[in-house]
Order: sequence, then structure tokens, then C-alpha cells
Amino acid sequence: MRKYHLVRRADSKIGRTIIFYAVGILVSLLIGAVILMALGINPFDYYGKMFTIGLVGNRYGYKSIEGFLKIFVPLLITSLALGLSFKMRFWNIGGEGEFLIGAITASVIAFNSSGIPNFVTVLLMCLAAMISSGIIGIAIAALKVKFNTNETLMTLMINYIMLYVIRYIGETKADWNFFLREDSERPKFGTFPDSAVMTGIPLGQFKLLWSVIIAIVLTVIVYIYLKYTKQGYEISVVGDSSATAKYAGMSVGKIVLRTMFISSAMIGLAAALTVSASGTISDTVTNNVGWTGIIVAWLSKLSVPAIFVTSILISILQYGCQAAATQYPAIDSNYADLLQGLILFSVLVADFAANFKIVKKEDAKNA
Amino acid sequence: MKKLISMLVTAALAVTSVFALAGCNSANNGGNGGDKASNFKVGAIYINSQNDTSGYTYAHHHGITEGMKKIGLDPAKDLYIVDNVPEDDEKVKQAIDQLAGNGCNIIFGISFGYINAFEAKAKEYPDIVFSHATGYLSNDKNFNNYFGRIYQARYLAGIAAGYKSLELKNNNIGYVSAWGTEYAETCSGINAFAMGCIAVNPDAKISVYEISTWGDQQLERQAAETLIDTYGCCVIAQHCDSAQPQIVANEKGVFGCGYNSDMTKEAPNAHLTAPVWNWDVYYATAMKAAMEDPASFMTKVGNYYEGLKAGFVDVAPLSSNCTPETKEAIDLAKNMMISGEWDVFSGVKLSFSGAAGSVGVAKADAALKTNDGTEIVAAGGPSVDDGVIQGSMNYYVEGVTQVN
Repeated sequence: MRKYHLVRRADSKIGRTIIFYAVGILVSLLIGAVILMALGINPFDYYGKMFTIGLVGNRYGYKSIEGFLKIFVPLLITSLALGLSFKMRFWNIGGEGEFLIGAITASVIAFNSSGIPNFVTVLLMCLAAMISSGIIGIAIAALKVKFNTNETLMTLMINYIMLYVIRYIGETKADWNFFLREDSERPKFGTFPDSAVMTGIPLGQFKLLWSVIIAIVLTVIVYIYLKYTKQGYEISVVGDSSATAKYAGMSVGKIVLRTMFISSAMIGLAAALTVSASGTISDTVTNNVGWTGIIVAWLSKLSVPAIFVTSILISILQYGCQAAATQYPAIDSNYADLLQGLILFSVLVADFAANFKIVKKEDAKNA
Repeated sequence: MKKLISMLVTAALAVTSVFALAGCNSANNGGNGGDKASNFKVGAIYINSQNDTSGYTYAHHHGITEGMKKIGLDPAKDLYIVDNVPEDDEKVKQAIDQLAGNGCNIIFGISFGYINAFEAKAKEYPDIVFSHATGYLSNDKNFNNYFGRIYQARYLAGIAAGYKSLELKNNNIGYVSAWGTEYAETCSGINAFAMGCIAVNPDAKISVYEISTWGDQQLERQAAETLIDTYGCCVIAQHCDSAQPQIVANEKGVFGCGYNSDMTKEAPNAHLTAPVWNWDVYYATAMKAAMEDPASFMTKVGNYYEGLKAGFVDVAPLSSNCTPETKEAIDLAKNMMISGEWDVFSGVKLSFSGAAGSVGVAKADAALKTNDGTEIVAAGGPSVDDGVIQGSMNYYVEGVTQVN
């Protein structure tokens, strides 16, 4: 009965891939445009605002760039970190949970840091977040190595555990709870003392936060680590075949533990930089990077330079969608989410279509 | 592979910049774009979406758009909204930056948890008026907070419920509440409602069922069922988002007082009346003041806690389910609150008596006491209303019990 089936294309022509991607994005934008026109909005106008992240005609454009970078930095670092573990075929989908652990430990230091110099506090926050997130990562990796537990489930569950931990902290008014504003009758997260708030290099009115510089340096380090070091090579061997790795005399367990520690610790670092840059914590502090990072890593085929660029594009999409929606009272964030979903989905379909083709059964042998 | 990706990236950037250029060229063709600096622009930050058809955000959005029309602004052109903003300081701050960047002259935030961001950004943008609902912070230049004396309307609804319980000879009155004593907003509503009931029916007992969330239709429904089936309540009042408690009352042949909107259409045989907000009263006042002279906003409007007097809160028109005495009694109490002669949480209690046509009200000095007997206001003492508005009430008054 099955007359057609899928075959991976033997050749991968770049021209074809680009055309498929372009067609995919165009189709999704066209669908979005139909909805916009139904609401009486000029799609060119709307998309223009979206892709320029609302900078045109903005009185405080530099703040838009700062806001965009605050979305970009955690997404970039988390995607790199997830990419590391995916390269090893370790399905770390606990980015959200690992991020929250880091955010909580960094905040513990931040809320108690009055009087400590800013540089020291932020450094301590980063270290504490990296260690705490790293420990969770290594614990899950150890369960996998020792008992062959399913890391997908374990990391997934961490997300929910940590989400409820932070909600508990955010909703429990008690003497011990230094996370909350003291003068508020209702529970409400407080703000960090200045000693814990990320500083940066002022460029006119615009302030380039250190976190942006750290993220870019980290990207270069991860690139070198994967490409030119023995450990980086080990990761890809384990990913290709752990049996091969074992045969080559590599200690697979050790590599898995080490890589998961690095991956989780990086996510912890992203969390510390995020809470420090925003000067507070909340249960939505992750901005879903633990999930979006998975998409970024796979869209980029786990390549570090591609992750860098894809993170920029996804952040433009996220920030731009909100910036454009703000200017039209009829458009709410549901439309922005819908459009993001359409674009991502069509890119994935385009990617699939560029790599596979549908063939008739009798042709299959020749393909 | 790397080549492929770099090409891909180039293509993506090309697409981006094409749209960017398109945006530059057509920025003035429609929508809100363009340099109309003289225009007054309103910014709003919502916890849900402006396209909701009921609930808290809907009520505020309706109030803002109606208020804008009242003072001659066009909501389709002069209103900028960031919606679905969680109570996360960073996200609220980014929303404020967006609205400020678009040139908004006044920014409203409707949810309590926006408080830290509003406080910080009011300092950063001294030329913009910041107005925050349900909070407790303000400054003397450009940052106020606003909320209404909804408890006054609750008291009036309590009168309607009290008369109904007298008629049915059943002293059990139920109250489905989002929260209990954790929030002054909910417990002041419960207390005022209870005091209204007791002013008519001194034997009334108010049973509160807390659902621990601002809105969950299933839980609201179950709470109302429990109050009717287990606690024998004959009137169901509510402080939650949907009309489910009223619908349950309608199904089970008892009565009820809704909230936020006239719920007679959802529960035609059950609904008595409902405390309602007229947010446009505040929004029109605030926008007008900010438009005329933002510098004097805090002296002209300041922290805004109006009630029945300004028409900021009221009760929905009484339905035909109310007893004949209800309207007269409610009018009597309403006039006393409007004239400032009396307020709910004071050391003076009202009591109503007499048949329809000759309903009378009597004032008597009596201490305001919690349900465990602690005295809050001495007999004859003044009202504690600022504590209600600013969020320090955390007790139930006599006659109230929480059942769960």
C-alpha cells in the first residue's frame, strides 16, 4: 500500500537549502500577514517594526538594545551548554531547572551582599550558581552512568521541581524569607542591593553590560574547546558511539560526568548573569531559555558559530514581536507567540525538506 | 556543513534587512508610528490580554478605552499596550521601556506585582506619569497608586443578601473567595459584605470558602456546591473571576451576589445584585490631569481611593429576585456613605427595619471586633478605611467563619 516513502537526500546543495528556508519563512510571514490584514493592519509596517525590534522612531532606542541583549545573553549561553550535552547524545532537557537552581543560589548571595564590593559579589554569585547547577547536572549524569537511568526524564523532572521551589519561595511570607520585600503585605520578590547588580561599560547613554562580554568570550572558549582540545574530541566520539570510545580506551563515564558538569554549570552561569543584570529574581526569570535553547541548538546543528547567530535571530524574533505588538492595541502577545511559532515551525519543515525527499517506492532503489 | 550555515545566515540577515528597510519607508503609513510629539499617548501594562472578554484585565482595558473616549482620545491610535506581562520586575521594566520609547505620557500598571518596577522607573523617567493599581507605593512627583472602596459596594450587596436570608428564614450565607485573610482586598470585601448582611439580619452567619487562586472555574463551582450542599447556604456571594458560583446558585434554586459585572444574565433566577467597578471614572480623571499638566498630577489626583461618591464603585441594578425592602435600604446606606456621614469599618453600626415603603435605618455605637473578639475600633470610633485600601486588614469580623 505504501507507495511513497522518505529518503535522505544524498547530496546537500546549499542553494536548495537557502531556497527552502526562504520559502518557509515567507510562507509563515504570509500567513501572519493575512491575519494582520484581517485586523486592518499593514503587514509591511508591522513586520518592519518587528525586525527592527521597534527601534525606528523609538525615543529610547538604546534601552531597546539593552533589553534585547538581556534576552540574548541567557539564550546564547544556555544554547551553547545544551549543545555540549547534545553533542554527547546526552539529552539534557533540564535547562529550565538548572537555570532556576543557579538563579536561586545566586540570589541567596545577592540578597545578603550589602557592603561587599560589586565585583566580588557578582563573582561569588557566578561561582555559586555554577557549582550548584553543576552539582545537579553531575548527579543526574552519575545516575545515568551508574544505573543507566533515563536522563531525559530525570532532567525534565528537575524543571518542575525547581519551578515549584521558586514559586514556594515567592509566595511564602516568613521571617526566614529574605527573598521577599519586607514592607509588602503581599508576598513580592525584593530587589538586590546595588552591590549585586551587574555593571557595564557606558557607551554614551547605552550601557554594555559585562554579561554580554562574558557571553561572547564564552562562545569563543566553547568553540575552541570543542574543536581543538582532547576533551572536546572525546565528547564527539562518545556522541558518535560510546562503544568506540570505550574501545579507544576512553573512560566514557568520566567524560559524561565532566561534560554534564560543564553544561549545567554554564547554564548556572547564565542564570547568575541574568539575575544580576535584572537585579531581581522571579519564577519567570528563565524566559523559557531551557526550552528555546533546545530549538536553537538543533536548528544550528550543534555548531557553535551557528548557535551564536541563531540565538541572535531568535532573540530578534522574540523581542521584535513584543515591540511591534506594543504599537497596535488590537495585537496582543498571543499573536506574537503565534507568529514566532509559525516561523520556527516553517524553518523546521524547510530544514527537513532540504534534507529529505519523498520518493515513489519503485524509485527508492535508485535513490 | 559550515559553509551551508554561513550561507543560511547571510540569507536570513538579508531577509531581515529587507523588512527593516520596508519598515523605515512605511513607518508613517499607518498604525501608531510617526512623529506626532504633541499627541498625548497612553501606555498600559496588562497581566492578561486586552482581547479577553471578561475578568480583571478586561475590566481595566474597558475602563481605559472608555475613559479615553470620554476625554477625546482615540484608543485605536493613542493607546499602547504590553500584555501578558508576568509579575517579574525585569519584564515589567522592559515593558515600561517600550512604552516610554513610544512616547507614552502616562503609564498604567494594573497588577500588584508591578510595584518594584514602577517604583524604579518612575525615578528614571521623571516626565512620565506612572499609575499603579492595588499597590502601596507612590512619590510626590509622578507616581501614584489607585484603588477603589469596593467594600462600600460589598456592604450594599450584603444588605440585599441579608434581606433574602430573612425572607427565606435561613441564616446561612456563603462566600466563594479567591483568598482569605492573606489579602486585604479579599478579606475587606468579605467583612463588608458580612456587616451588610448582619445590619439586616443580626443572626446571619457568613461561611467563607477559599479557593486559593484568583480564578479557576472548576474550583469556583465546587466551592459554591459545597457551601450550598454541606453548609446549607441560601445566598452565595463571590470574589473570583467567573460567574460559576452564580450559575451553581441558579441551578440549585438558591440566590447569589456576583462580582465585577451584572451577573443577572448568567443566573437570571438567582442573582440579586453585584458590586461593580467603573474603572473609567478613575482612568478619565487620571488621563485628563496628566494631559493638562503632568507636573501637578500628584497634587491634583494623587493617590486615588474613591468609592461610591465618585461613582468609581457601585452595585449593579437590583434584579427582580431582591426582596421589596432591598432598594430602600441600599439607597439609605449609599447616601450615608456618599455624604461621608458614615463608613463601613467604623465604631458605628447600622441596622435596618420596617416593611417596604417605610424602611428605616438606625445608627448605634458598637465596637468593630474580629471574629475572635479582638477589638479593632472602639464603639463610636472612626473608620479604619486607609488600612483597608493600603492592605493591612488581615482579620475576619464577627459573624464570619472560613470553612476550609
